[in-house]
Formats: sequence, structure tokens, C-alpha cells
Amino acid sequence: MQRPDWAPETIDIERPSVARMYDYYLGGSHNFAADRAAAQAMVAAVPEAPLMAQANRAFLRRAVHHLAGAGIRQFLDIGSGIPTVGNVHEIAQRLDPRSRVVYVDVDPVAVAHSREILAGNEQATVVQEDLRRPEAILGHPEVRKLLDFSQPVAVMVVAVLHFVSDDDRPAQLLRTLRDALAPGSYLVLSQASDDGRSKDERAEAERVYQRTDNPLWIRGRAELTALFDGFELLDPGVVWVPEWRPETPESAEDAERAVFMGGVGRLGG
Amino acid sequence: MTQAQLEALLDRLTGQLAGALRTEPFDLRAGHRVGAELVAAHIASAEGLGRTVEVIQLRLIRDLGLVAEDVEDRMARLLAAVATGYARALRDRTLDEQESIRRAAMRARTQAERALRASEARFRHQATHDPLTGLPNRTLFTERLTAALNEPGRGAQRVGVCFLDLDRFKVVNDTLGHQIGDLLLVTVAERLRKAMGAHLVARLGGDEFVILVECTGGTDAMVEVAETALAAVRTPALVDGHELQISASIGIVERQVAGANPTDLMRAADSTLHWAKSAGGARWALYDVERNQRELARYALSAAIPAALERGEFYLDYQPLTSLRDGSLVGVEALVRWRHPELGVLRPDSFIGLAEETGLIVQLGGWVLAEACREAEAWAAGSAAAPFVSVNLAVRQVHRPGLVQEVRALLRQTGLPPERLQLEITESTMMSTAKEPVRALRVLADLGVRIAIDDFGTGYSNLAYLRDLPVTELKVAGEFVAGLRSPSVGRTDERILASLVSLAHALDLTVTAEGVETAGQAERLRAIGCDAAQGWHFGRPAPADRILARIR
Repeated sequence: MQRPDWAPETIDIERPSVARMYDYYLGGSHNFAADRAAAQAMVAAVPEAPLMAQANRAFLRRAVHHLAGAGIRQFLDIGSGIPTVGNVHEIAQRLDPRSRVVYVDVDPVAVAHSREILAGNEQATVVQEDLRRPEAILGHPEVRKLLDFSQPVAVMVVAVLHFVSDDDRPAQLLRTLRDALAPGSYLVLSQASDDGRSKDERAEAERVYQRTDNPLWIRGRAELTALFDGFELLDPGVVWVPEWRPETPESAEDAERAVFMGGVGRLGG
Repeated sequence: MTQAQLEALLDRLTGQLAGALRTEPFDLRAGHRVGAELVAAHIASAEGLGRTVEVIQLRLIRDLGLVAEDVEDRMARLLAAVATGYARALRDRTLDEQESIRRAAMRARTQAERALRASEARFRHQATHDPLTGLPNRTLFTERLTAALNEPGRGAQRVGVCFLDLDRFKVVNDTLGHQIGDLLLVTVAERLRKAMGAHLVARLGGDEFVILVECTGGTDAMVEVAETALAAVRTPALVDGHELQISASIGIVERQVAGANPTDLMRAADSTLHWAKSAGGARWALYDVERNQRELARYALSAAIPAALERGEFYLDYQPLTSLRDGSLVGVEALVRWRHPELGVLRPDSFIGLAEETGLIVQLGGWVLAEACREAEAWAAGSAAAPFVSVNLAVRQVHRPGLVQEVRALLRQTGLPPERLQLEITESTMMSTAKEPVRALRVLADLGVRIAIDDFGTGYSNLAYLRDLPVTELKVAGEFVAGLRSPSVGRTDERILASLVSLAHALDLTVTAEGVETAGQAERLRAIGCDAAQGWHFGRPAPADRILARIR
């Protein structure tokens, strides 16, 4: 974060990227040896990892479906990663081709890949930015070009906030985003959680994650609920992601194995 | 895919498999298609294939109630086809995805490198250009100059620089503000850039610019460049509603590339610029080796003054001031000498000028004043009418706070009566409008110290200050006296002198004529009514003992 403006980062595919690891969990091949090695190490430590990713992906799909059904036509997906099947613009534009989607990711390879996928799609774009710089995201010319902030926008902060440390003040970041939104906008949020687990379990999980390049910042239900400050939480509130409006009762079984908690909030007024 | 969509897909694929089992002739391609469709629908985990095979094997024949003779054989071949189609599709998808992520990584890398180059270029531009005017800065100029001097094969060629500085730019800043000053700099920069064409114009800082001419055709060509630059600056500039008439001074250095180095060249340009400035500005000056050496020597001499003072290398000679009425010695003028260990005895004209410029005159002048007071006090012994001692004060000494205390302390320490000290100041000392020096001189005059105006008639000659200043005496410059030697020219000088004397006497001042060399001059001055005289005719500067021997 301290890198001066005139010195861009270099691309090193020898270092695992969380975006490509996530793709690996989802069964994709948009990844390199280093990503696979890191992801396999994670699966060895946390066997639920692939399940987590799939459950989270399904949560994203149900949330976008719901919001599109509620009339939302603008989506700002921050931390979008490698856009594989079932990404936001596919879901939203199938329901209404005029839906506009801006993807934001900090990983330059994920951004380059997204750009290729989105080539020719006038209603969707990608920008390289960091969730930790919400002003830069909101002020980005591409964002401004495609999204009209006087109209409702759904901001997706899905499976990314656990890479943001408390020192980076996630509540403040979300508040900055919220303040830019028109009434009727939505926040979709999910992240790794340990709600209801013992202290020992949390310590062990954190020890595992500390070994990766991006340590995780695990947060409980109360912390996540607080992050929806200013939004009205839709039912059922902040829950294990499989429990959020499941399509079938069975799909919500063993929900806490999904590790992710999430929810959807609506900006009133 | 929603649960419902997934169920619909699987239902359709099952239908295709069932159809394949029943259809004659048996077509394995249906199995391949189903395998490929599963992959396309992202049912592509390792478990996906196993579960598919298991379900088909266990459920399909039973659920369909098939009893054909070759059904087991068909089933096995169909499953093999599904697995084959699935594996092929998965392999293709994997290769495609690998290719696409590699492409993305490559593109990201290219972009990062391009961004790095762009930012390096931007950074380099920032580091080598002046943000105000956009001109190259000192860094880039030094690089280009160094390159011009070091480029192999160019030893025989010549290179030149014009070091340009705006005249009185500070006045613009001080009176109109820095904003206007900055705008003026931008205007000047733009004009120089246009006027100089291919030659590099850089801003070194402040109001200093430099023009680099690579491959000059000699000094004439450089002078032409300088004239063009001066003309570009001279045109009045309209800046924020103010019409500003500005001029510049330029130091030109032009020399062979062989043997030149950037530091020396710029130092030479700097000195040359000062020559142009000290000659009044709005002009160029051309570097001159001999002049530079003279100045260096002079500078070295002036820099040695403090050490020479400590080592006691200075001493005083005195020149008599003789009464024209009775030939008595009324006073002596103290003149500083430097017994230089290598250069021998130096007269003040070889070191006072630069000491005045550098400010060392304050230290040196202080020593002269103290030494003169100390020596003069001793002359009173046994004589009622001991001569006063006249000491020159430099402008900086007069303008320095603390002059009164310094003189008072000296008089107290040495015991010299105030009326035996005369301070000589030049007309130009009083040109400044500062009140403080006048006040200081008045305090000194009130103490009884004599105040003389040195070189009267050659400078400012504003008579108004005679009204304000507690002056005791006028010392008339030697050039008027020189005229008295030839009767024809001398008539005018004599009339001027006569008028000065009567003016002085009317104001109750005494007049001393300087530079009196002949008896004839002395006689004519006496006839005019001049009070005293100084010059070779009455005695050359000499140590105090020799002068005093005359009155004992």
C-alpha cells in the first residue's frame, strides 16, 4: 500500500494469488502451479475449502438473482477475482440485458482476464483497484461512466473482506461506499466466519491461514452484522451462506461447514 | 445454475442416454455428447464423473426396465463413451482455461511493464524539468553539457554556454509579489525557448537560465546567440495586467571541447555573468582568462585578510595634512599597508576594493581605526598642538550599528581626545536614505570627533547633506587640484575650488586640498584661501615617527 504512484507492481505468477486459488476451489483451471500448491495446502488444513467456495458462489448467485428481481440494474462487484461461470453480469444480464456491472479487483491478472471475458460487452467493465481505497473506486472514471450513483446500486463485497485487516478499518471503508449510494441501494457481504466455534478452533484456523500469503481476518456474526450499519438487513439477516434463502431445504443442511457468513442489506429512504 | 435448471439439464441428459440404449444402430456419439455437456455445465469436479457413472450403471437399466440381450454390453460401451467424452471435454476446457489465464498474466505483465515505463518516463521528466516553466532543469542541463564534452570524437569541436540572469528581478517579486514574478519567469522561459530554437534552454533556479550551444562556430556565433536572448527578454512583457520592462545579463563562455569540464565551464560562466552585472546589466560579457585570473588572485588576497590581521601583517603609514597659513602639521591621514609575506608591501588599492565587496572591510577598518587611535594618542607627549589623525571609514562601517560604541570605547581605552580623531567618509556613504548613520555621525560629532567628507566634488555632491550632517571639513578631490598645474585649463578648476572654499567657509567648514604635488599648486591654493593641503609636495605617506620628527 506504500508503493509510490510511479512504481507499478510487477506480475509474479510464482506467487499464489487468492483469486486463482478460489478458481481452483471452484474446479477451474485458471490457475498456476503456485496457486494450486497453495490451494492444496489449504485443503489439507481445511477440507471444507472447496465447499466454502462453492457455497459462497451459490450465495452470490442467489443474491444477484434476488436483487435483479427487486429491480436493481447496477452492480459494483468489489473483489470479483477470476470471473468464471455464474458471475454477476451473466446472471444480471440474463434477466435484463441493460444491467450494468463493474468488477473491481486488485489482482492485475484477474483484471486482465476479466477484461478479455468482458470484451465487447458495453454494459460491463473491470477496473483495477483496492477495496481499501473506496474513494479511488468511487471516483474511477470507468466506474463513473457505467454506474449512475443517483440510482440504486448493489455493492457486492463477497468473499473479500476477510483479506482486510481491522487496521484498515473495514467499517469505515463500507461507510464510505454507503455514503455514495442512493436510497434503495444494496450491500451484499460475505466473509469467512467462526461464529459459534470455540476459541481453540478460531486460533487453529487463524494459524492455518497465517501460513498463506493473505492472512485471513475471521469475524463473527455480531461483527458482520455491525458492518451493515445504515442498511436494513433483509431476512434472514447475517447467516451461514447456505442458509441465505436456500432453493431447497436440504441445501441448507450442515450450513456452518461452509465457513462463510453473509447477508444482504438495503439502504433505506 | 439454479437447482431447477440443474435438474432440468440432468433430466434431459438422462433422456439422451436412455434413447441411445434403445436406438438401432447403437450410436456411441450420444455418450460423448453427454460427457461433454456435463463439463460444459461445470459439473466438472473429479467426483462428478464417478457419481455419474455410478448412477447410470445402477439406475438406468433398472429404471428403464430394459431386457435386451446385448444391454449389458451396450451399457458398458455407453459408459465408456460418456467417460471418454467427459475426459476429452475436460481436457479441452482445462487447456483453454490454462491458455486464457496465461494470456491474462502475460497481458497484465505487459501492462505493468508499460505502466512502469510510463511512470519512469514521468518520473524522469519530473526529475529533469522545472515544474514552473517546464524547461529542463539543472540536472538535465548538466547531463547534456557533460555529454557534449565527453562525446568521443568531438574533441576538436567547440561548445558554448550563455548564463543568463534577469536584472533586478527581486524588485518585481518584492513590489508585485511572487505570483507575478513566477508568471514573468514563465513568459521569459517561453520566449527564450522560442528564440533559441534547437539550443537547449534550461532554468537553473530563481531567475537564472542557461543556454547550451553545442558545436559553436566561435565566439562571434555565441555573441549572436546572447544578443538574440537579450532581445527576447527585452521586449516588454504583459503579465497579469502589468507591463513589465525587464532586461537580462549574460555571461558567455565558449571553448574547445577538448580539455573542458562542466564544473570549470559553469564556474567561468558564473564569473562572466557577474562581470556583465557589475558593468550595469542589460548586456553580455565574454569570458576572459586573464581577467579571471586577476580576479582569482584578488579574491585569494581578500580571503587572506583575516589570517593576515591575526599575524599582524598590516601596519599604518601617515600622510601629513599641512596648514597653508603657517605650514604647520594640522593632521595626518592614516593609510593601511599590508606587509605580505610573498607579495611584499601592498598598497590599499590592491585589497581594499574586494574587502569592501566581501565585507571583510569591517574587520580590517576596525583594526585601522583602533591602531590609528592607539598610535595618535602617543603623539601628544610634549606638544600642545599634536596633529589629529584622520581615518577613512568604509560605507559598511558607517552603516553598521554599534559604530558609536566602538569609537567611544576606543577613545576611552586609548585616551585619545575626541577632537584629535577625524573620520573621513565619502559622499556616496551618505547617498543612502538611512537615518541611522546620520544619527551616529551626529553623536560622534557631539563628542567632538571631526567629520570630513572625502573626495568632495567627485561624486554625489548633493549639498543638502551638508545641512544635515555635522561636517567639520571638506577634502577636495585631487583632480581639481591637478588642474592648477596648467594655467590655461586651471582657470576653471581654480574657480570651482574658489567657490568651494567660500561655500565651505560660509558654512563654517575647513577645506583641505588633496593631491598637491607642486609648490605652484600650493601657492595658488593658499591664494584662494584653502585651509590645508595634502600631497607629495607636503610629504609622502610614512611611518608615524618620520612624520612627527618634523614637528619636534
